[in-house]
Amino acid sequence: MATTAATAGTAATPFAFPSTYNFPPFFTPQPNSTTRHSQLQKWSSLIQSWCRHHRTYRLSLVDAVDSPLFHNAALRKRLNLAEARAVVDWMTKKEEEGGGGQRAEWIEGAAAGGNTAPKSVAWIWWRRPEEWADVLVDWIDVTGQRGVVLTVFELVQGEATVSQGRSLITQTGSTENGRADHLAEFHGMDNDAMMKALNVLVKRGKASVFGNEGEEGVKFF
Amino acid sequence: MSRRGVGLGAFANRTQATQSFASHGANLRSTHLASLQTQLSVFQSLLHTFALEHSSTIKSNPTFRAEFARMCNTIGVDPLAASNVKGKNGRRGLGEGGSFWTQIMGGDMNDFYFEVAVRVVELCRDTRDENGGLIGVEECRKRVRKGKAIGSGLEVSEDDILRAVRSLEPLGSGFSIVHVGSKQYIRSIPKELNTDQATVLEVIQMLGFVSVSMLQLNLNWEKARAQTVIDDLLADGLVWLDAQGPEKEYWSPQNLLDDSG
Repeated sequence: MATTAATAGTAATPFAFPSTYNFPPFFTPQPNSTTRHSQLQKWSSLIQSWCRHHRTYRLSLVDAVDSPLFHNAALRKRLNLAEARAVVDWMTKKEEEGGGGQRAEWIEGAAAGGNTAPKSVAWIWWRRPEEWADVLVDWIDVTGQRGVVLTVFELVQGEATVSQGRSLITQTGSTENGRADHLAEFHGMDNDAMMKALNVLVKRGKASVFGNEGEEGVKFF
Repeated sequence: MSRRGVGLGAFANRTQATQSFASHGANLRSTHLASLQTQLSVFQSLLHTFALEHSSTIKSNPTFRAEFARMCNTIGVDPLAASNVKGKNGRRGLGEGGSFWTQIMGGDMNDFYFEVAVRVVELCRDTRDENGGLIGVEECRKRVRKGKAIGSGLEVSEDDILRAVRSLEPLGSGFSIVHVGSKQYIRSIPKELNTDQATVLEVIQMLGFVSVSMLQLNLNWEKARAQTVIDDLLADGLVWLDAQGPEKEYWSPQNLLDDSG
């Protein structure tokens, strides 16, 4: 059931596709609007769990349409670029607007393989920046680092989060501690995504960010 | 003594005889009634003891529960019907309060089916977008058994699901059981399936999917008829379209349910 193809394989275990993935009509936009809505929800949750599994923060649609995410080789069904774009577009909208609750965000002017067309790369927010902010605050609390100045590089690449990151793997295996589970999930996080999360904290008055671009430091209150 | 009475005395004799017959009859009747009443009360208390003794099994074991419910049905006691008159019975007295069944099971039996019913309603609502309000009883059972949160699964049989759906009927909820082919479905949108639609769903049940040409070939339908039925099913959200094959295929979303959705 799980297709283990060559993907950005940072994860040790293959991604387990939901049963929807093996349902042929899943890859055809449904003409019935109610059914379509249900289909979009399923796509959104699949894309999120896929990105989460592969620790993908920005999804380039041009690249992704040929990956197992959008291409089920066994069924010989695929979501083409335009349809993948429609799904992600739906994800970017708020729930009140009948969208997917802002689980994605287009990255303006992002180049993907020389393609600078709009709506080709998107943030996939399997955690929204606000949710990442909560994760960060939790981690700071648990590790007792309030008032400590950290660099963003440390947060993302630092040893403290590495060890957390490793224990994360063993802990998700044994599901011992649900809390520690997401503590250093941000290790190896996309730098810009991290900045977005930090900016949420800045707005909340929970942190301040200083320094030049690329060498930012951050202090949590 | 035993000689036939003649003359006027015979009249008195006959009245006497009738009277004694009548009183004897009354005697017999009352003994009968008494013994029947004893039997009934013995039976009730036995049923009571049985239900009490096995109440945990009744609650936890679906097969046992189904058998118990079947037994109650055969002797004309409906645990769920009893639940509907719960309030009235309580007021009527008998010095006991509550219906026979709520007394016996402490309301657990009713609560159990209500809980199942709530799960079924939830499930139908959650999946309505996906399956157009038609869900297989079997799929429904699997989902209720699994539960949404850890530990919230309920061990239920199909019989329990059907009973729970029937218990919703007095509410006018529009939940009903539909038979398509050999399978039973819960219909949560009050809309009739016509014969053609039911036939097509039955074909999908067997083959997994259908296409217009398959219907034409197998059922000898005109193209227009096949297309109309499929379009109707599509409009009701009962089938999903796969347009990536050589011909448009229509699939039933019934087996989608394993996901978190």
